[in-house]
Amino acid sequence: MPVVSESLPLRRVAARTRLDFWFDAAILVGYTVAYSYGFTGVVIHEWLGIALGVALLLHITLHWDWVVRTTGRLLRPRGPDKLIWLVNLALLFAMTLCVASGILISRVALPELRISLPLDDPFWDRAHTLTAEVTLGLVPVHVALRWRWIAGVGRRVFARRPR
Amino acid sequence: MRFLRQLAAVLAVVTVVVLIGLAWHHFAPGSFGGQGGPGPHRFVRGQAATAVHRGVKVTPGVELNRGLSGVPPIQLGDLLEPVNLAVLWNTAWIEAAVIAAVVIVDAGLRKRRRARRGPSR
Repeated sequence: MPVVSESLPLRRVAARTRLDFWFDAAILVGYTVAYSYGFTGVVIHEWLGIALGVALLLHITLHWDWVVRTTGRLLRPRGPDKLIWLVNLALLFAMTLCVASGILISRVALPELRISLPLDDPFWDRAHTLTAEVTLGLVPVHVALRWRWIAGVGRRVFARRPR
Repeated sequence: MRFLRQLAAVLAVVTVVVLIGLAWHHFAPGSFGGQGGPGPHRFVRGQAATAVHRGVKVTPGVELNRGLSGVPPIQLGDLLEPVNLAVLWNTAWIEAAVIAAVVIVDAGLRKRRRARRGPSR
């Protein structure tokens, strides 16, 4: 439990920061559950995967300013966000292909939506497995590279306000 | 309006990634090994129960999900059985281990950089 100094009052957490914190936490929990296929079963796995695809779009949109700013600074010799940018790019590829291949091999969610894809190709099964495993390696790195922000905001979010 | 503009940009990027995936499938369908080549082929999934993770227990009599569209029983449907929590813990444990490793390395590197710069005031 972090000790919060009484002499240093905690600043209020901005609504946008709070949204980022909880939305990202929900994505992390959602991804962890969706990856645990043996626990969820195929139905929850597929619907949660589709929801994660939508969440991924919103997540990148909410951080689009960072993407543009950091991409513009990539050619500078010194940039602290270069590693994070590379990890995020790899994660974008892995997660997008994971969701896309998951949709292509869907056996429950798509038929429920009356959509049928005449696909019977092992390529997408294997692509889904491979990208899911790459994503499992990259998601925690993506989270950990921002651990200072998470710790800072978390400390303020969970701090009890004096009455 | 700004949000929609940014969302459109994100959708464009994601579309490019999906197209790269489709191109990968088109130009190198056998890139995962043991597949491709001429003639029809079919991925053998095996019996439904073999698709379950090792160690996962199936409750006897569990109702398999049929879906509204009459999809035949597919594997195990909704499980969420407490007995299978080990699968979830396993995923969480992997994530926690990677996070811990990266945080330790990052903190160590930062400490070394600070020490190299000398004491700050």
